Amino acid sequence: MTARREPHQYEQILGLPLDGTAGDAGVDRLRLLASAIGGRTLEVADGGAGEPAWTDGATVFVDAGSTPTEQVRMVGVQASLLAAGSLEPHVVRRLGRRSALARRYLSVEGHRALAANEELLPAVVRALIDPAVGTTAEGAEDSLAIARGGQALDAPPAAFGTIRPRRLLAALDRAEPRGPAPGEAPRPAAGAARTDLDDLASLDDAEEDDDERSVGHLLSSPVGGGGLLGRLLRRLVSPTRERGRGGPAGADAPTHVGRARSDGRRGGVPARGAPEALDATDLFAPQGRTYPEWDANRRRYRADWCTVHERDPRPGDLAPMAMPDGRALRRPLARLGTGLSRTRRRPQGDDIDIDAAVEARVEALAGSPPDEAVYLESLRLRRDLAVLVLLDVSGSAAEPGPSGWTVHEHQRWAAAALTTALHDLGDRVALYAFNSQGRRAVHITRVKRFDDRLDGRVVRRLGGLVPAAYTRLGAAIRHGATVLEEQGGTSRRLLLVLSDGFAYDHGYEGPYGEGDARRALAEVRRRGTGCLCLSVGAGTDPAALRRVFGTAAHATVPTPEQLPGLIGPLMHAALQSAEAQRRVYQRKERTRVRVALDRRMS
Amino acid sequence: MTTGARPYYVPVGDEEQVFTAAFRQEMSLVLKGPTGCGKTRFVEAMAHDLDRPLVTVSCHDDLTTADLVGRFLLQGGETRWVDGPLTRAVREGAICYLDEVVEARQDTTVVIHPLADHRRQLPIDRLGVVLDAAPGFCLVVSYNPGYQSVLKDLKDSTRQRMVAIELSFPPPDVEEKIVAHEAGVEPEEAARFVQLGQAIRRLESAGLREVASTRVLIAAGRLVAEGLPRRAAARAAIAGPLTDDPVVTAGLVEMIDVYLPDGDG
Repeated sequence: MTARREPHQYEQILGLPLDGTAGDAGVDRLRLLASAIGGRTLEVADGGAGEPAWTDGATVFVDAGSTPTEQVRMVGVQASLLAAGSLEPHVVRRLGRRSALARRYLSVEGHRALAANEELLPAVVRALIDPAVGTTAEGAEDSLAIARGGQALDAPPAAFGTIRPRRLLAALDRAEPRGPAPGEAPRPAAGAARTDLDDLASLDDAEEDDDERSVGHLLSSPVGGGGLLGRLLRRLVSPTRERGRGGPAGADAPTHVGRARSDGRRGGVPARGAPEALDATDLFAPQGRTYPEWDANRRRYRADWCTVHERDPRPGDLAPMAMPDGRALRRPLARLGTGLSRTRRRPQGDDIDIDAAVEARVEALAGSPPDEAVYLESLRLRRDLAVLVLLDVSGSAAEPGPSGWTVHEHQRWAAAALTTALHDLGDRVALYAFNSQGRRAVHITRVKRFDDRLDGRVVRRLGGLVPAAYTRLGAAIRHGATVLEEQGGTSRRLLLVLSDGFAYDHGYEGPYGEGDARRALAEVRRRGTGCLCLSVGAGTDPAALRRVFGTAAHATVPTPEQLPGLIGPLMHAALQSAEAQRRVYQRKERTRVRVALDRRMS
Repeated sequence: MTTGARPYYVPVGDEEQVFTAAFRQEMSLVLKGPTGCGKTRFVEAMAHDLDRPLVTVSCHDDLTTADLVGRFLLQGGETRWVDGPLTRAVREGAICYLDEVVEARQDTTVVIHPLADHRRQLPIDRLGVVLDAAPGFCLVVSYNPGYQSVLKDLKDSTRQRMVAIELSFPPPDVEEKIVAHEAGVEPEEAARFVQLGQAIRRLESAGLREVASTRVLIAAGRLVAEGLPRRAAARAAIAGPLTDDPVVTAGLVEMIDVYLPDGDG
């Protein structure tokens, strides 16, 4: 108990490997400490041997090779700087590229920030404070003025690390265009931490940021944003490129273009030539499953047309996110299919079950031991519902919606809230994300399987999802329904699709894709699984949604906050219709079997 | 119930005066505040001050009206009516404290409506009687605003008859005093745990449903008073109850090790 525990020892104690990237597990353990001191969700990552500590506002980078005490100090300082407002953009901008000024600023402001945060600091961090310096400045502006003045200042202690103004501002730029988070605490920009992790090797505030930002600006420019040009551009720069437009089999082999980092890690998928692509994909995920696809033009199925690969997120594709608590959704969802039923002959209850009481009395008078269970009890009907949430993470979801949040962020928030709420209510719930790069590469990412616990792992998997590539909606729906039917384990099932309704892939465009998605939903519903399709924050035209989702229950929800008001009736409708469809299907099946039997008999 | 020493409660604001005034005016009270911030202890202390018996009911989502009001039981060939805790409080003029009232089923909370407003009556359908509350009866309900955004299950008319007292975790100096007293540890020891608690409370989205309450800090302190090493006590009483998530647990354990010096330091 007295010895300091290394991470592997926690793993032994907990009997579970610590989540997160293996290399960072050492400093990653300080995540909660950083978040507590910083008053915001922060990550801690290895900044490289011998490098001073710094932060980009979302992640604190410390040298994993330094002593644990040093690491705590460095995290304490950087988190305090964030908590005390020392790294606000208006201040950081004025530091510019002058590293000497940044150093002088840090030597004053570091002490001020620590002093301001003193109540919260552990003793080892508190020991760093020089009260003489800490009280000279009233605020960050003051510290900056002192730093700009000519007076001699001591160099900041090593534990103060450094400030990297350009990296901070770059991270802020990515974070700023977003509107206020719906019901969510401030959190790091989706791509911030990971971009910086990618090129830790080049730690100086170098030029790559400029390239990256210029691409980003191009895509989010008023012309490009959500319009035709924007989609075109996005498609041009997204990891796959179209070949043989609209053509059938074989024409959809993905060719990877070396894409810059704003699409996250997707660029890291090995480039593959066209003919070998199918094999390479199969090697990558050998447990692919094939599904048919509906050819609306020829009005028949193409057997085994799509291959779906289920996979876990790569260890690097994990990022924290603030989880909505789902409490607002709990009440409307709790009403689904639950009611009180009066149960007779209970050993306890609100009222006396007269029949049982009379019988018990008769038995007693007849000399046999009476049954004591003579009460009526109102019992809650146990819910018998499995829900599989299917989240669209195709590139089209990366476009910002009307509120400034991307569709993906809205949908992810909704997925998180729904999963949490249903889980809390005791339903079986799973969460999968999907996108595709042609018919042989429909990817389903497991975020939470039915039997997984809803814990930090799930949160980090969800937070790490980066929208990319295309949407082969039909195959994803068929696979989701299969998983739901095989693993749901309940008689009532619901498939919840969160998508912008933009069905698009190689050879999967316009009416063809819409027809297949519609068909897939119809198949699923006919088997008695309810389907509910929600488009959250995408502003998709209702007519377009109807073309994709057909008669399945669907709705477009402008913002996630409106979800609690709508979700109850929608899910109710979806389940009701599935129930009715199942009865019709069963009747038809029975008729078919009977007709077949009759024929054989005659 | 009212004999003995006053339960230890340190007021943070004017909550004691508000409670007393509402009690004298025969008004009902609603206490808001996070789990473990001292709502129950506050009511116990007030019941002692006002010299009323206290009837506490912890509400849960399977609590039925009969659980509150009472039911018939069969004994031999006879039926016998047994009062529920609420009926008992109404008859005796006790303070009836319904903890986490919104957790109770909707059809259950209906029964407190006529009691909470000016009528101060409890209708008992099964007996066919309407009981008038005895003098000194006071209805106190509590709820955790973290769980429920509003008291939506109580009728507006009822809510408006209630007086609200908002409680939260006490400021550090008061909390140190409370932990030191309740756990029986030195003030410096209590201060360390309070600082840890303050830090944990700043974690907004770390995957914790509840933050470290005064209650868990006291629990940790009591383990220390029993001779357990500080860090072991904090792990058992703070990290363990707060989360089952291995990643979050590891983070909390790290915070415990950083904030709590080992040994006698």
